[in-house]
Amino acid sequence: MATIDDRSDPDLLRALAGDDRSALNELYRRHSAWLLSRLARRCADPDVVDQALQDTFVAVWRKPGSYQGSGEVAAWLWGIAIRRLIDQLRRRPATLHRVDPRDATSPSAEEQVLLGVQHGDLAGALDRLSPELRAVVQATVLDGLTTREAARLLGIPAGTVKTRMMRAKPLLREGLI
Amino acid sequence: MSETWHADPRDLAEYSAGAIADARAASIEAHLVTCAHCRGQVNGLVDQDRLERAWFAIVDTLDAPRPTLLERVLGRLGVRSDTARVLAATPSLQGSWLLGVVVALAFATIAAQSGTDRGLALFLTLAPLLPVAGVAAAFGPTLDPTWEITAAAPGGGFHLLLLRAASIFGATLAAAALAALALPGLSWTAAAWVLPALALTLTSLALSTFTSSERAAAAVAAGWIAVVLVSAHGTQDLLSAFEAGGQLRLAIVAAAATMLVARRRDLFETRSHL
Repeated sequence: MATIDDRSDPDLLRALAGDDRSALNELYRRHSAWLLSRLARRCADPDVVDQALQDTFVAVWRKPGSYQGSGEVAAWLWGIAIRRLIDQLRRRPATLHRVDPRDATSPSAEEQVLLGVQHGDLAGALDRLSPELRAVVQATVLDGLTTREAARLLGIPAGTVKTRMMRAKPLLREGLI
Repeated sequence: MSETWHADPRDLAEYSAGAIADARAASIEAHLVTCAHCRGQVNGLVDQDRLERAWFAIVDTLDAPRPTLLERVLGRLGVRSDTARVLAATPSLQGSWLLGVVVALAFATIAAQSGTDRGLALFLTLAPLLPVAGVAAAFGPTLDPTWEITAAAPGGGFHLLLLRAASIFGATLAAAALAALALPGLSWTAAAWVLPALALTLTSLALSTFTSSERAAAAVAAGWIAVVLVSAHGTQDLLSAFEAGGQLRLAIVAAAATMLVARRRDLFETRSHL
């Protein structure tokens, strides 16, 4: 990896169709770190996260054509990665899901004020939600998962995802008023 | 993507360490998707050894032979992957063999479509021989490419034999059952070949403890055709071998063959007679 590969991400995907292993390596070099970090925020088991990351790039190698040719390759990659993670979690029912979203690091009052400045009140409202509600909002709204996918990711029934989302909505709305 | 701002390096560090509040993390994640520069910053914050290990695992997966369609179907059905591999390597379960089975059945079915006893007798005589041929092909050194590996494998020979024989029998049975549905005037005759198929396959297995599996299958086939012909000649009824008396005799043969196979099972482990 001494030389700099200046192909764009879509170019690399097109090269994958021609069985170019170096293109996959370059995509991995560019995207594996942030994908790993983002997956790790959604699953506490590093083995499951590593496996989901590997599955993601194996899937990219085998089906690079599923990229529609427009939009961010990074967003497309994340769509694959989160679903590979859900797949892994479904196969290992005993895996501990992320239950406690870092209560130990919940922001101080001072930080809350700064957050309000930085992101507007929605961020504050999001952080004021209980961890269970916040996890559901994150999975459905921010990660764009369906109710069923979110249920698998969080290890709760689909009905619970729906009711938690219904409880979270008015709380978020209050934060905007 | 030209971004006008970039994430605070301290935020990125906290983010990749998993120590940041969810709202700020969501904001960083939304930014990372659109900003190659900040994605590059995260690169330096993640355990490089871990990324490298994952990369080698990816390369290993890509270089490993992909499971065949049959293996994946069996896997979905809950069959262990090593068992699925063994079954997929069975010559009589592969496409070309099954195609041969289908063609043979198609000809017999067309003959039976004529509505004559002769056509039906042809179908009923041929259908039971298909699993016999399939099982023989799975255990002979001439037709099975994995034969030497199987023969050299410590133990499990008998287990493997039953596994393969049962799956071949099942696959052929399914094909023949579909063909039987196309027989004219659906009646008892559509199923009259099932017991012969079982009896002949078991007899052929039992005989293969004395000689090679191909010779055993050939002997069984010749014997079966002779029985059908002699029985038809003696009674002036082409289908007499398949009626109640014949079925009962075949059941006895099947039981005797099963006992013989069970008694001589050690020979399948060593195959020293071959």
